Amino acid sequence: MEDIKALVRIAGKVQEGLISLRRTRYFELMKRLTSLTDQLQELNAESRKLSVSLMHSWFVAADRCCSRTSRLLSDISHSISQVKQLTEAPQKRAPTLSQVLEELDQVEDEFGSVELEKGENTIFVVTDPITLEDVPLGPFRIQLELGKLGDLYKDRPYRVIALDPNPAATDDNVTHPHVTSQKLCEGDGAAAITASLEQGRLSDFFTMVRSILNTYNPDSAYVSLYDWTGQSCHDCGYTMSSEDTYFCVHCEQDYCSECSTYCRLCEETACLGCSGQCPHCEEMVCRNCISKCSKCEEL
Amino acid sequence: MRILYINNEGGGFADYVTVSEGTTVEQFFKDKMPGRKSTDFLIRVNREPVARDCVLQEGDRVTVTPTKIEGAVT
Repeated sequence: MEDIKALVRIAGKVQEGLISLRRTRYFELMKRLTSLTDQLQELNAESRKLSVSLMHSWFVAADRCCSRTSRLLSDISHSISQVKQLTEAPQKRAPTLSQVLEELDQVEDEFGSVELEKGENTIFVVTDPITLEDVPLGPFRIQLELGKLGDLYKDRPYRVIALDPNPAATDDNVTHPHVTSQKLCEGDGAAAITASLEQGRLSDFFTMVRSILNTYNPDSAYVSLYDWTGQSCHDCGYTMSSEDTYFCVHCEQDYCSECSTYCRLCEETACLGCSGQCPHCEEMVCRNCISKCSKCEEL
Repeated sequence: MRILYINNEGGGFADYVTVSEGTTVEQFFKDKMPGRKSTDFLIRVNREPVARDCVLQEGDRVTVTPTKIEGAVT
């Protein structure tokens, strides 16, 4: 992006988004504080009810007060932690226009360019093509939606779009082991990404998203790379993951759940071609066991 | 002297820290990230990549960002 005016325009929009985020954070804090105050008032009311109950020796009522108080104390404890989350790390002032410009300059240095989508109020960068464990996934566009920065505490204000998609065979929405429907599952990066957006550190934000895209965590993937291309059912051709694959021990081929069964006698998995229904007891048996059914003693 | 240190690992934080005069980027990294390899991080000083023997100056902004971060299904 060579046009300095365009860069300034983007910086202005980013700054607007960050100011909106700052306001949202205080509104969110106010909402949480109101909820906490309401709970404290309820606790006060329970205290008065308990006092009246004891005065009249209403022990059943006193028991109810105790259980309501116990529930309230759990709620209050949760509410306090929610409030502390927003008060313990007070938000710094929104960055100045020149600071945002510096951030955008750095994003350009790291990614080659940063673009503003006309009319969309979004800025984006494009990663280099990504390959994980020999599976090519293509380049990704990391698109920050400036109008949604204020919603950071409810939803992520960015999308990760595969530009040359090679989705998982079993789910077209999964374009990366950690991306589904253009949403990145941030895992270990979640807190740092939130902090970077809160503070307007755009370069750190884009860099961290790229770092997640360049990393494969096999223990927590939407679709593992092992299953990326899936396997075809030898009978109907349906694409399935390794977990949904059934291996026929007779013809030694892989089948889907619809095209396979198990022998009720030897309990081995068999495809429908290598098994059949016993004409007498009507149970499914494999071709080895169909010669003589032990249940009906018939061939 | 004081520098601004931004660590994008874990919770991510930005704070001013005090370092001795003459501290190099490599020494700073070893001090702040003991046992870690500098090749696993993008290290920027005042938004620029620098050599490991670059000496930090008062007011510098040092950013350390992991190049590998594990995503996870929530």
